Amino acid sequence: MANAFVALFEILSFGAIIVLIVLGLGIIASMMGIFNFAQGEFVLLGAYITYLGHSRGLPVWIGMAVAPFLVGLVGFVLEGLLIRRFYAAPIVAMLGTYALGLIIRETVRGLTGGLYLTVPEPIGGSIDLGTFHISAWRFTIVVITILVMGACHVLLSRTSFGLRVRATLENPALARASGISTPLIYGATFAFGAALAGLAGALIVPVFTLFADLGIRFLIQGFVAVMVGGVGSFIGPVMGAGVIGALSAALPWAITPVLADVFVFVLAIAFIKIRPQGLIAGKRV
Amino acid sequence: MNANIGGEADAMMAAGEPAERAGLPRKILPIIEGLLLIAASVVPLVLADYLTVFATRVVILALFALSFDLVWGYAGIMSFGQALFFGSAGYGVALLARDLDITSILVVLPIGTLIGLALAILLGGFLLLGRQPSSVIFVALGTLTGAYAADRLGRGWYYLGGQNGIASISPMTFGSYEFAEGPVYYYLALGLLVIVYLFCRFLVRSQFGLALAGLRENEQRIAFFGYKAQHLKAIVFTVGGAIAGLAGSLYAFHEVFVWPDMVGVVVSTQVVLYVLFGGSGTLAGAVVGTAIVEGLSFWLSDNYRNIWPIILGVLLLLVILFRPLGLISFVLGERERVGRFGLTSKEKRNAAS
Repeated sequence: MANAFVALFEILSFGAIIVLIVLGLGIIASMMGIFNFAQGEFVLLGAYITYLGHSRGLPVWIGMAVAPFLVGLVGFVLEGLLIRRFYAAPIVAMLGTYALGLIIRETVRGLTGGLYLTVPEPIGGSIDLGTFHISAWRFTIVVITILVMGACHVLLSRTSFGLRVRATLENPALARASGISTPLIYGATFAFGAALAGLAGALIVPVFTLFADLGIRFLIQGFVAVMVGGVGSFIGPVMGAGVIGALSAALPWAITPVLADVFVFVLAIAFIKIRPQGLIAGKRV
Repeated sequence: MNANIGGEADAMMAAGEPAERAGLPRKILPIIEGLLLIAASVVPLVLADYLTVFATRVVILALFALSFDLVWGYAGIMSFGQALFFGSAGYGVALLARDLDITSILVVLPIGTLIGLALAILLGGFLLLGRQPSSVIFVALGTLTGAYAADRLGRGWYYLGGQNGIASISPMTFGSYEFAEGPVYYYLALGLLVIVYLFCRFLVRSQFGLALAGLRENEQRIAFFGYKAQHLKAIVFTVGGAIAGLAGSLYAFHEVFVWPDMVGVVVSTQVVLYVLFGGSGTLAGAVVGTAIVEGLSFWLSDNYRNIWPIILGVLLLLVILFRPLGLISFVLGERERVGRFGLTSKEKRNAAS
């Protein structure tokens, strides 16, 4: 019983982490049609900023609060300088963002000296529920993920900014004709996606420690999750992320971990082949 | 015989017409190919031994890059997992040498090629064929995922050596002769590269290649002409996988070492870099790109090991933004990149007369 509960929490918290990482990836893929290979490096940047704040003697949570904004700013600048040249060709966008990711990753590798660096959890200890103990910080991540997910959904479906974003996605020409500045919207959307990645990086760095390949580790899982969920909607990638995250965490309990990893990918690709539109089809929030 | 002489006379007469001269621009591609071949054949004679070993590696990687160029540059399939075939073949021949003690070149190279071919048929058939044509993105991510999954499998599976891979593979043999690294291995690799290059060149300049060019430029129109676009793609993908398998088995015996990176994302993206740098869809560009990237990396890695990947990223970004056709497009025109198909004007006139 206790074991089952611990396993369940493990699955839940890993699922939440994947959802958090995929949120930004999914928004950029769905709203802009770009598979951003540099997304993993935005996660890394978020983690690095948190580490930097911590090593300067600031409390960890300050770094975590600042990271999304800084990474969002970086995303906005990069979109203006580079990414907007890639909109016409999705494959070129993949390669271009890959190059960008390579630059960021290797820069961080140089800055950290290729070491594994630890950042302490801002909320340490564990929560005791009778006989079970669960990590307080992992629990916090789950809570924050749920809050961020809700906030993103409200932002895209209920606010005028969300309306503009969706209008730009649906019909850029008409959106421009209606007086919406589509380049600005694209820039803001990309920055928003980057900021979410930065937040994810900042939150997970105490769990995974900081190293240069932190982002790439999640990137492919993220892409698969987006495809499973379905490109074009907000909720699709999130659901895909939940499924992939839960499966990745749950399968190692059932079969050997080596095969579990491979099995998840094979299953996911087979699913996408059979149902290319993903879990949730169509363009909606 | 007569017709031939007449044709030459016709061509000589026609040489005066300006339109004809525009139709026959100087061919640069054969010059590049010839220069490359000459340079490659004298390399072991002028270089120190340890540089010959490095040059061998470049030649083998160029063979690998050729496979990716065929798949991406000619069929428009973004194979982000080309290393899957390269590395699996490498692992396959390494296991043959380790467990079954088979190192004869006449067995291991064909088997390596077959491993690449078989995997490419499986993966390509699954990703590319089917009732609905697959999107470019799906194929790109599917191949990437395949390579990543293989990487994880290689890392975790004890039989394959896990994280450390399989080291000290016994050398490839022919009878009692052992191919050690050095000039002999170099010329072996170069010979195979030339053969495969000529084969690819024949393939892309044949009628099949014409259909491929159409596929790359406008897939829908080719489909309307009645070609089975997906089948064409699957065939090219399979050929690419076989070539990658050949390169992988050569590489494994040359490095006497296979490790999980070789099947994974690292090497997959590396080959993309080579081809983008050199220029996709030219074959020669893939070879040039490999030589430039590997050469630069070799030269810079002594003093600038840490910043070299950053420089590589910046250069790649610049090439993508300003030279989408790669470095070779500085000397090679668009017309020659696409190539000429069907009858030349000379032959046409013969047919008419």
